[in-house]
Amino acid sequence: MGGLVNYVIRRLLFAIPVFLAVSVITYLITNAAGDPVQIVKFGIRNISPAQLEYLRLYFHEDLPVYIRYFYWLNDFLHGNLGQSLYTGSVVALIVPWIGTTLELQIPALALALAIGVPVGIYSAKHQYTKGDYAITTTAIFGISMPTFWIGIMGIIVFSYYLHWLPAFGAYSSYPPYWWGSPFMDALAHIILPLAVLTLVSIATITRLVRANMLEVLRQDYVLAARASGVSEFKVTFKHALKNAITPVVTIVGLSFGVLLGGAPALETTFSWPGLGKAFVFAATRLDLPTVLGITMIITIMVLIANIVTDLAYAVLDPRVRIT
Amino acid sequence: MGELLRVDDLRTYFYTEAGVVKAVDGVSFVANEGEPLGLVGESGSGKTVTVLAAMGIVSRPGKIVSGKIFFKGEELDHKSEKEMRKIRGKKIGYVSQDPNSSLDPLFTVGNQLVEVIRTHFEDTKDQAWDKGVKLLKLVGIPEADTRMRSYPHELSGGMKQRVAIARALAGEPELLVADEPTTNLDVTIQAQVLDLLKTLGKQLNMSLILITHDMGLIAEMTKRVVVLYAGKVAEEASTLEVFQTPKHPYTAALLASVPRLDRKEVLVPIGGGIPNLITPPSGCRFHPRCAYAKQICIDQIPPLEESGQRRLVACHRWKEIDLRRKA
Ligand SMILES: Nc1ncnc2c1ncn2[C@@H]1O[C@H](COP(=O)(O)OP(=O)(O)OP(=O)(O)O)[C@@H](O)[C@H]1O
Ligand code: SF4
Ligand SMILES: [Mg+2]
Repeated sequence: MGGLVNYVIRRLLFAIPVFLAVSVITYLITNAAGDPVQIVKFGIRNISPAQLEYLRLYFHEDLPVYIRYFYWLNDFLHGNLGQSLYTGSVVALIVPWIGTTLELQIPALALALAIGVPVGIYSAKHQYTKGDYAITTTAIFGISMPTFWIGIMGIIVFSYYLHWLPAFGAYSSYPPYWWGSPFMDALAHIILPLAVLTLVSIATITRLVRANMLEVLRQDYVLAARASGVSEFKVTFKHALKNAITPVVTIVGLSFGVLLGGAPALETTFSWPGLGKAFVFAATRLDLPTVLGITMIITIMVLIANIVTDLAYAVLDPRVRIT
Repeated sequence: MGELLRVDDLRTYFYTEAGVVKAVDGVSFVANEGEPLGLVGESGSGKTVTVLAAMGIVSRPGKIVSGKIFFKGEELDHKSEKEMRKIRGKKIGYVSQDPNSSLDPLFTVGNQLVEVIRTHFEDTKDQAWDKGVKLLKLVGIPEADTRMRSYPHELSGGMKQRVAIARALAGEPELLVADEPTTNLDVTIQAQVLDLLKTLGKQLNMSLILITHDMGLIAEMTKRVVVLYAGKVAEEASTLEVFQTPKHPYTAALLASVPRLDRKEVLVPIGGGIPNLITPPSGCRFHPRCAYAKQICIDQIPPLEESGQRRLVACHRWKEIDLRRKA
C-alpha cells in the first residue's frame, strides 16, 4: 500500500510540468500566426474600437511574447479567462457548456461500457461462432462510419420522417414540450445524440475487450487456473476479465479526457450546446479569448483524466506501482 | 502397483485456418502409482496437448476427436464439466511450463492458493489461508506468511515455480503432472526444484508424470518412459531399458543428443525439424529424418508392437537394427 501512496504523489507532481508545458504550447500557437490583435482586426470587419482596446489589454500587446504568457498564465490560475468578444465573461460561458457536454458524455460512456464489455466478453468466449461474427462485423461498421454521418441518418429517419424525436438542441426553450413536461422534453432531446455517441463507443469498447480477452484467455495462468479445477466462471470473470480490462481502462480513461472536450462534430450535428459546438462556433468567429479558454479547460480535463486513469491502473495492476 | 491414469488411443486435433493440426494422433499410455512416468519428445511433439486433453482442458480450436481416458479405472471423457472439476487439481495436479506466466500477475500468491483450496475443500477463508501458508512452507518458501501477500512479480523465477507447485498440490492430488518444470529456470534452481518434486512425491504419496525433452531428466526422475514423436508414441519402456537398449531410431537419436559425463563424445543433434502436423509424412512420420528408413517406412504406418515384456515400439525395422550405444 505504501507503494501506491508514493505512486499517487509522484504522479500528481509530474502533472505540474506537463500542465505548464501544454499551456506554453497552447499560448504560443495562438500567437504564432502573427499578432492576434491584428488578426482579429483583419478578420472581423465591424469590430468596435472598444473591443480592439480590450483585446490589446487581454494580450498585453506591447510586451514580448514570453512576458505576455506569464500575465496570461497568472490570470488563468486566478480563474480569470477574460471576456468573450461577443457575450461577456468566458468563465461564465464555459461552465454551462461543460455541464451540457457532461450531461451527454457521461451517460454515453456508462452505457457503452455497460453494453460493450459484456458483448466483448461474449464475443471472445464464442470466437469463430455465428454470434461472434455478427458482433465483430457490426462493430467494424460502428467504427468505420463517421459519427456525424450516423447522426444525420438518425435525424433524417427519426426526426424528419417519423417525427419521433427532436433533431436539434438539448431542450425546448418554451412550450409545447416534447412528451408533455420539461423533464421528458430533455429526455427526448438527448436520445438521438446519446444513441449515436453510445453506438460508436460500444463498437470501440467491444472490439477492445474482445481482443484483450482473446489474448488473455491464451495465457498460461488461465490454463493453470483451469487445470487446478477453478470454475470457468471464475476463470473468465476473475482472472481473464481483470487482466483484459486493465488496458481498456487506460484507453477509455484517456479518450474520456478528450470526450470531455465535447465531440465537436457530433455536438454541431445535433446543435448540442456543449463545449465542442461552442469551440467550433468561437473559432469561426475569431473569438480568441473563448478559444484559448476552452482549449485550456480541455487541457486540464485531459490531464485530470490522465491522472485518474493512471491511478485506476495502479490500483488494478500491482506491477505499475513500482515503476 | 495400481493404475492411475490411462490414456487410450487419444486423438486431439486443432482446427486452424491453415488446416487440421493433428497434434495428438493415437497416443496411449498408462501412468501407474509410484512409477514416475516420463513423456519425452521434441518441442511440438504433443506432450502438453496430450496431458491437457486428459484433463479435459484443450481449448478452441482444439478438440478431442477420439480416445478414452480413465483415472483409476473411471472413465473421464463422458464426465460433465462439473465432475471434471473434481478431477482437475483434486486427482490430477498440473504444473505448467513457464513459471513466469503461470501465476496471474494481478492477484497475490495467497489469493491464488486460497482460490484453489476453497475450490476443493469446504474451508473458511482463514482455514484456507492457513493451509496456503503450510503449502508454501512445504515447497520450501521462506517467510511463507509474508509471501502469501506477495504478487508474482515480486518473486524470483524459482520462487514462482515453487508457488505454482504449491498450487498444484493444493487439492492434494494423487498424480502430479510437471510440464517441463525446470526449462525456464537457472541451472542451480533447476536442481532444487527437481529435488523438491522427488521429496514431495514420497512425502505426499503422490505419483509423477514428468514432461520434458531432456533425456537427462528422464534418467534422473523417472522409471518409465513414453517417447512421443509428432503426435504418436514411438516407444514405451522402462527408463533403464530405454537407455540400455533403445529400439526406436528416434529414441536413439534423442539419446545421442544428450551430453554424457562418463565419456567425451560429440553430440549428434537430430537432423531436420519436427514435421508439419497438418500434412504429416506418410507411413512412419519419422521417415524423412530416419537413417534406417526404407520403402516400407514411406508406405505403411508402423504399428505399436510389443517388443518385450511391457515394452512397445512403433518401427518396421526394430528387429533388424541394433541401436545400442557403442560402449
Ligand atoms: N492452440 C493451438 N492451435 C494450433 N495448434 C496448436 C495449438 N496448441 C498446440 N498446437 C499444436 O500442437 C502441437 C503439439 O503441441 P504441444 O504444446 O503439445 O507440444 P509439446 O510437445 O508440449 O512441445 P513443447 O516442448 O514446445 O512444450 C504443436 O505442433 C502445436 O503446433
Ligand atoms: S519405421 Fe522406418 S522410418 Fe520409422 S523409425 Fe523405423 S526405420 Fe525409421
Ligand atoms: Mg509443452
